[in-house]
Amino acid sequence: MSGKKTLIQLISLLAALSLLLAACGSPAAPAAETSAPLRWSLEGINELPALDPPLAGASQSVGVISLVFEGLVRLDGGLNIAPAGAESWDVKDGGKTFIFHIRKDLKFANGDPVTAEDFAYSLNRAFAPEYANGNAGYYLSNIAGSMEVQQGSAQTISGVKVIDAQTLEIDLLNPSVYFLYQLTFPASFVVSKKAVEANPTAWTDTAYGTGPFMVKEWKHNQSITLVPNPNYWLGKPQISEIDMPFIQDPATALKMYQTGELDIMGTYNFPTDQISAVSSDPAFHQFNQFFVAYIGFNNARPPFDNVKVRQAFAKAVDKATLINKVLEAAVVEADTIIPPGMPGYNADSAKIQAFDAAGAKQLLADAGYPDGKDFPKIALSINNQDPNFPKIAAALQQMWKETLGVEVEINTEELSKFNDDLTATANDPAAAGALDFYISVWGADYPDPQNFVSQQLRTGVGNNNGHYSNAEFDALVDKADVEPNLPSRLPLYQQAETIALTEVGWLPLYYGKANLLINTKVKGLVVTPQGLFPEVDWTKVTVGK
Amino acid sequence: MWRIISQRLLSLIFVLFSVTFLTFIVSSLAPGDPVLNMMGGRQDPVRYQFLRHMYGLDLPWYQQYFNYLGNLLSGNLGYSFKYPERPVWSLIANGVPVSMQLGLTALTVSVLLGVPAGVLSALWQNTWRDTATMTIMLALYSVPSFVIIPVLWVVDLALYRAGWPSLPVAGWGKPEQLILPVLVLAAANIGFIARLMRSSMLEVMRQDFVRTARAKGAPESIVIRRHVLRNALLPLLTVLGPATAFLVTGAFVVENLFAIPGVGYLAVQSIGQRDYPVIQATTILLALAVVVMNLVTDIGYTLADPRVRAD
Repeated sequence: MSGKKTLIQLISLLAALSLLLAACGSPAAPAAETSAPLRWSLEGINELPALDPPLAGASQSVGVISLVFEGLVRLDGGLNIAPAGAESWDVKDGGKTFIFHIRKDLKFANGDPVTAEDFAYSLNRAFAPEYANGNAGYYLSNIAGSMEVQQGSAQTISGVKVIDAQTLEIDLLNPSVYFLYQLTFPASFVVSKKAVEANPTAWTDTAYGTGPFMVKEWKHNQSITLVPNPNYWLGKPQISEIDMPFIQDPATALKMYQTGELDIMGTYNFPTDQISAVSSDPAFHQFNQFFVAYIGFNNARPPFDNVKVRQAFAKAVDKATLINKVLEAAVVEADTIIPPGMPGYNADSAKIQAFDAAGAKQLLADAGYPDGKDFPKIALSINNQDPNFPKIAAALQQMWKETLGVEVEINTEELSKFNDDLTATANDPAAAGALDFYISVWGADYPDPQNFVSQQLRTGVGNNNGHYSNAEFDALVDKADVEPNLPSRLPLYQQAETIALTEVGWLPLYYGKANLLINTKVKGLVVTPQGLFPEVDWTKVTVGK
Repeated sequence: MWRIISQRLLSLIFVLFSVTFLTFIVSSLAPGDPVLNMMGGRQDPVRYQFLRHMYGLDLPWYQQYFNYLGNLLSGNLGYSFKYPERPVWSLIANGVPVSMQLGLTALTVSVLLGVPAGVLSALWQNTWRDTATMTIMLALYSVPSFVIIPVLWVVDLALYRAGWPSLPVAGWGKPEQLILPVLVLAAANIGFIARLMRSSMLEVMRQDFVRTARAKGAPESIVIRRHVLRNALLPLLTVLGPATAFLVTGAFVVENLFAIPGVGYLAVQSIGQRDYPVIQATTILLALAVVVMNLVTDIGYTLADPRVRAD
């Protein structure tokens, strides 16, 4: 299911990227003087949900975890995999076996050396049954023997092998080219066995790992303070401290920024009604996200089992009006499944579902409902969490009525109830209580089109709540998912995307936009045009007086 | 009086038992699945079943309830679904002192300002000063905190931009961070207490014993302080008891907007997340606080008012 967490995931990705990018490439900085503390709010929470890497889920957790911990690999500014704890790796058996060469001088923040054993320990720990509520199972279940550990029938993952202190082998069940991307999510980050075992219930209160910072103090329900890791493999960061208060309401964070109490705000949530008030500020940044809001259809029963009906509904939507007038351009019109900036984005796909009132009418007539005559009663379901959804739903209702002559009811539900209903629809799309169609969102777990194409619309995958199914689409994504060569892979996803857009497996509505205030005295953080929040090297980030 | 206390303590057990049962039933009936919330946007039926089993959510409801009661009796409130690293008691234990500090300060301020305002108004009865005070009090009582807060922020921001002394707009831990939230929380209570005091004073001033006191030739200040005020304060006691009970569970809007790490916010957030262990714990805490404070109020009333004791 796509749910509210997607935004969270998206931002977590951004944060993870930014933080991983931090470490990227540059050799250790010469010992520089210490700069002022960085005050950076964590919006949308009143307590950090988790700091233990296997429990990372919420974006705020992923953000902080990525400052403190690191894994084998990370992403660079071009969204490519770059070395982190592993300085190099070999891929064998057509993508089924990965051999990682651990950095020789790698140390935890307390100075203890890090070896392949530590990475193996961390992976085994992430899959232990008591961490089943974390996300290792979601990202890394392709590791041979991992699910046996999670389900308690084995103690250690058979596919994780320590060859020697500097060499770790990971065997997969199925060849995968995006496995390295999956390793950039915190679930596999390396933790210190010594630290964990010294204080199993509260070790994260003073957590340290191999990331650029370590925890100085976690004031529960209030804030977390990080200080530089003196043993960071890229050198010790210059920022003397990062103070991160938990601020539930983004409007509060904005006021704190405006009265000089914060240096960065908006990373996790921004009060969108305040954008016009700050948009001329040089500290204000706006960027697109790997995030798509879309309409999903119940393909398993009438009327949306008929491709012509879905096409008619898609072509009757005037997205330009919807986005620019109804949502006042707070988001960006979306016409593709793979969002701009992600490998595989195809601008040509944008024309497939273009607004065409006459064509829409004709398609509906062809489907047997001229002017909407005898069209069954249907409801568009939305959740009430997102302030955009009621506005969009009302506008869509109007467009479908005017263009197609179809009356659509709007069914607004609390998020938890909506998630229940969506899951029920996924489990039994023909049941009476199943949704007809719904507005949902998806944010990238990692910047690979597989996450947007195969994982959303292939027959039978968990997130394909509406049961879209096309044999040709399935064949294309199955081939793409195991194709090791990127230039050959991307066209396969693009062809699949063209099929899904033509048949309206998804009706994309908009891409998300993120808003951020970064005080100009903060140097070394860069917001890239793609919005992939800063291309940072943490050892070079400074805060002026 | 001991009979009253022991009766109340017995009923406390019954109340708490009912509260756990009702909260449990209502949470189970509410649509929304904590495991789905936990898994975020990632659909995975195998993990879903596994997690339901792990949290015991696949058991029949009565069995879940008895397990829960068993844990509760052994002092185990369980682990939060949303904050998997944190036992529920630690979430609550962090919040209670914060909410209490905020609430008690606000209550003290309300009493210190509300009581004199009400007393003076009563003495000035039907003059322009009475009307003006009561109008202000009515306004304070009626304007909701989510309206006052943005107004205070705008003023504060203007002060900051003008380079004048300004207050922190949010946060917790420094004394100056207490000022704005206390003002907001106290505003409504000041209005309420002042109006209550005024009508209570006026009622007492018409009593026979006041006339008697005056007839004896007692000076007006003695009449007011010793005879009127003392009696007029009694109704305040009944109001302050329950008000104190709600302090422990926090002030949702104020804690939320001022980023104050109290219990109020935690409670409401946990409902949206279907974080059953936290919902249960905060409900029990509130019920406990209300029952205990009612008892304390009754005892206080008995001690303060000989007429009640005589009954």
